[in-house]
Amino acid sequence: MIRAILRAQWRSMHIFRLSSGRRGAVFSVIIAVLWYGFWTALAAVAEQLTAAPQLRAQIKSWLPAGLLGVCAYWQLAPLASATMGASLDLRKLLVYPVPRRSLFLVEILLRITTCAESLLLLAGAAIGLLRNPAFGGWRAFARVPLAVILFAAFNLMLAAGLRNLIERLLSRKGIREAIALLLMLVGVLPRLLMVTSFGGALWARRLESVFPTAANPFWPWGAAAHCMLGLSAGVPPMAAVAVLAVWAAAAYLFGRWQFMRGLRFDFQEAQATVASAKARPFAERLYRLPALFLPDPLCAIVEKELRSLVRTPRFRLVFVMGFSFGLVVWLPMMLRGRVTHSAVSGNFLTVVSVYALFLLAQVTYSNAFGFDGSAAQLYFLAPLAISRALAAKNIAAAIFIFLEVAAIASACSLLRLGISPGQIAETFVVTAIAALYLLGVGNLSSVNYPRPMNAQRVSGGGGGGRAQGVLFLLYPFALLPVFLAYLARYALDNQVVFWGALVCAAALGVAIYWMAMESAVAAARNRRESILAELSRGEGPMVTE
Amino acid sequence: MPDTPAIAVHDLCKLYGDKAAVDSLDLTVPRGCFFGFLGPNGAGKSTTIRMLTGLVPPSSGSIELLGMRLPDRELEIKRRVGLVPDESLLFDRLTGAEFLEFVGRMYGLARAVAVERAQSLLDLFELSEKRKFIAEYSKGMRKRLAMAASLIHHPDLFLMDEPFEGVDAVGARLMKEILLDQVRRGATIFLTSHVLEVVERLCDRVAIIDKGRIVREGSMAELRGGTESLEDVFVRVVGAAREFHELEWLK
Repeated sequence: MIRAILRAQWRSMHIFRLSSGRRGAVFSVIIAVLWYGFWTALAAVAEQLTAAPQLRAQIKSWLPAGLLGVCAYWQLAPLASATMGASLDLRKLLVYPVPRRSLFLVEILLRITTCAESLLLLAGAAIGLLRNPAFGGWRAFARVPLAVILFAAFNLMLAAGLRNLIERLLSRKGIREAIALLLMLVGVLPRLLMVTSFGGALWARRLESVFPTAANPFWPWGAAAHCMLGLSAGVPPMAAVAVLAVWAAAAYLFGRWQFMRGLRFDFQEAQATVASAKARPFAERLYRLPALFLPDPLCAIVEKELRSLVRTPRFRLVFVMGFSFGLVVWLPMMLRGRVTHSAVSGNFLTVVSVYALFLLAQVTYSNAFGFDGSAAQLYFLAPLAISRALAAKNIAAAIFIFLEVAAIASACSLLRLGISPGQIAETFVVTAIAALYLLGVGNLSSVNYPRPMNAQRVSGGGGGGRAQGVLFLLYPFALLPVFLAYLARYALDNQVVFWGALVCAAALGVAIYWMAMESAVAAARNRRESILAELSRGEGPMVTE
Repeated sequence: MPDTPAIAVHDLCKLYGDKAAVDSLDLTVPRGCFFGFLGPNGAGKSTTIRMLTGLVPPSSGSIELLGMRLPDRELEIKRRVGLVPDESLLFDRLTGAEFLEFVGRMYGLARAVAVERAQSLLDLFELSEKRKFIAEYSKGMRKRLAMAASLIHHPDLFLMDEPFEGVDAVGARLMKEILLDQVRRGATIFLTSHVLEVVERLCDRVAIIDKGRIVREGSMAELRGGTESLEDVFVRVVGAAREFHELEWLK
């Protein structure tokens, strides 16, 4: 039964891969090689460190803290990166007589999709310890793998429970954005504390206390470390195994409890309250503003995009992240740079705005037809050139980009970060120029790598990972002309040169946008059938986020 | 009424790899005709409609709609065609009124006209619950809204893929009356449906497609030959060779 579920998912993913062609497969492989290559290298470093007999004292101190870090990453990374991995789509499977324990087992196995890098690190550290004679060497062959397996099982089941809990919280109107935002801020708040003067001292004291606290054998990471290190850690390994087993059992109970609650939870009921458009005359007037300067059908599409995106929870979350998450990510560098006058502190507003531009990509311009799904066929059925539809979607994206910049500038003013009106104007100009390049790239990816997006789900798209990867690779190139303008200002200390370079970057941006649009229109004409097929594609028994 | 047929298709083929979804299709649908396009699952009906709308490029052959060749005069054709597709073309995060206004403006109507027509269509199709997002609509309501959208620009040719699927009896009756009214004013309707009683009651002419090829075509009277029902004809033409084999374990 479990094999049948996994096979059905594999088949549906395989069919999708075949439909996305060889180029798509190559990109997926490149991205996977880069990502897992990085983590394999890190695992190799961990192996080398834990295998060094001369580092015996440091390993005893570092290992519990390291395992705490692995645990934190395991549980928080899927939330912070807004990708919660594959999960069972219970609505599709509940009609079959599948025992719930089997579904739970598959759910736990699927958590591996979000933690392969953690497993690599654990494996590296475990192999290093087995090679280290200071901790028993290969004589610890039974003890070290047992600790790793129990620790991994604890994390897997905890992650399964947390995922179910968070998914239910995120499906509730009103609190979903707040919860998602809170979870992400939790991930970056430590960085903020580290660099503020008050937080810095506090952080140093906290950091000093992490090592002994983490080493406490009653914590799962402490117990795992004691078990892996053996008697040299001062605690009998079997006692540590027993503690770890208790933690794993508790995680199992928590995971199973949350999973069963998820089975009984009615997502449709939770979301039903969202799906009613309240009469908002003011908002209606705002939606109709584009009619002042745009003709139909361009204006009709822009209005439709504004309405649809504002009503899409996933878009709202990313938009809010743009100015809040962006500020928190870059604020530490800004505060540190106030002393050293770094590039970030001098151009803080621009940096955060360009970062927000990247964040908005996934919900606006890099997959412009994603939220439309199969309804995108209307753009091909209606009597308008597809270039109009793309241009209208770009205009809507630009409106949100400028609103985002305005929100960031307002937040900076509220935080009294000393942003001048000149800097605000400069940010708008620079963001507009950078947007020209990125919208061009986005139009190409929208027609070459389209995929349907679920408007209700607040987390990111696994299916969109490839397009995001492509954008991530192209991002530095797209920003290069703007970067060169800043480089010129830094090198020559001349505003005229800076603005001249920006004008050149804008002219080049217009040309590139134009060429990208021509190319996207040709691709839309040639790939019309496969674009609509991909946008109408359903998912297998599991959903990937 | 112009002399040219509403739909003239010649030697139309659509290949997927070496498999022909539509194979040398020749079809002529006169103007003002209620035309039924029937066939078993996977016979090529939806592919044909998608080629007629320009969503799928044909592998070979020619298509003329309302006397204009596709794709040469694609935009002009689109302005005069209304479509109810098998897949949803509705934007879930809009209300019914917003969606109809949007479609009207996409087809060149002024905003005021689109708003007025949208409201009258919502009333006609009993979808006047103004502030409800399309995401909340039932399947039948979605089909009714899709049909309303196909009417808003007053087209001369309707291409409809299973328009009654999921619609309740009252809604289906309303939709049939509206379609018959459109034929009376001179519009042409090209309809696919698996509900043969509906086709029998509505259509003037019928073509049956099987494995990508037209296997029967004619007026309803010609096809039925006086005594047979359309279902009998359909089963005889496309399913006569199929026998019912009982499964031992199902007894």
